Amino acid sequence: MKVQTTRFGSVEVDASRIIEFPSGLLGFSSYTTYALLQPDDDGLFYWLQSTEAPELAFVVTDPSTWVPEYQANVRREQMEELELSDLDAAQTFVIVNKYDLALTVNLQGPIVVNLASRKAMQLVLVDKRWTTRHEIVRIASEQRVSA
Amino acid sequence: MLVLSRHRDETIMIGDDIELTVVDIRGDKVRIGIKAPSNIPVHRKEVYEAIRRENEGAAEFNQDDLKEVKPPRIAGM
Repeated sequence: MKVQTTRFGSVEVDASRIIEFPSGLLGFSSYTTYALLQPDDDGLFYWLQSTEAPELAFVVTDPSTWVPEYQANVRREQMEELELSDLDAAQTFVIVNKYDLALTVNLQGPIVVNLASRKAMQLVLVDKRWTTRHEIVRIASEQRVSA
Repeated sequence: MLVLSRHRDETIMIGDDIELTVVDIRGDKVRIGIKAPSNIPVHRKEVYEAIRRENEGAAEFNQDDLKEVKPPRIAGM
């Protein structure tokens, strides 16, 4: 399907990359369909692009790349809502943000996607180890010069 | 806001299928049991607000900030 985006123009997205969030994301509950775009080849970051609002998109990444010990606990009723019987059939993403000169990820509000049905939801974790602003990388100006 | 007084172990119904029960009261802390259908998410408000704010901030992300990020080096990879 064709998806209109403000950042990437009009892009053709395979149906297998369309993800449904029946409850939306927190604060964005009226938008329930997103396309998972992978603009870069390195596979580190993806864009979760709303198919309904061209300007609405989030950068997401696989948390295991950055925080190997990270684990998002999915409660049984959430498994049911995602139509998941096994966590191996799910992929977890976390949303990327920027504070000062660091990129952070929201480990407290991960996104869990059922890879088969492509149903997804944003969880709210109670585990105090996982914060909303976990720093993953500095993007300091001196790095930019040497890069 | 509707304000109701309840004793320990007393319940409030919201609609037909949401129940709030005062489970325990200790000092200035009240423990509340919540029974709700699974399609009604229940969150502590401060946590909900923190994640909502984080989402709103992340929706403004500038794609240029990803340009020079290299994969992390993780032992064993």
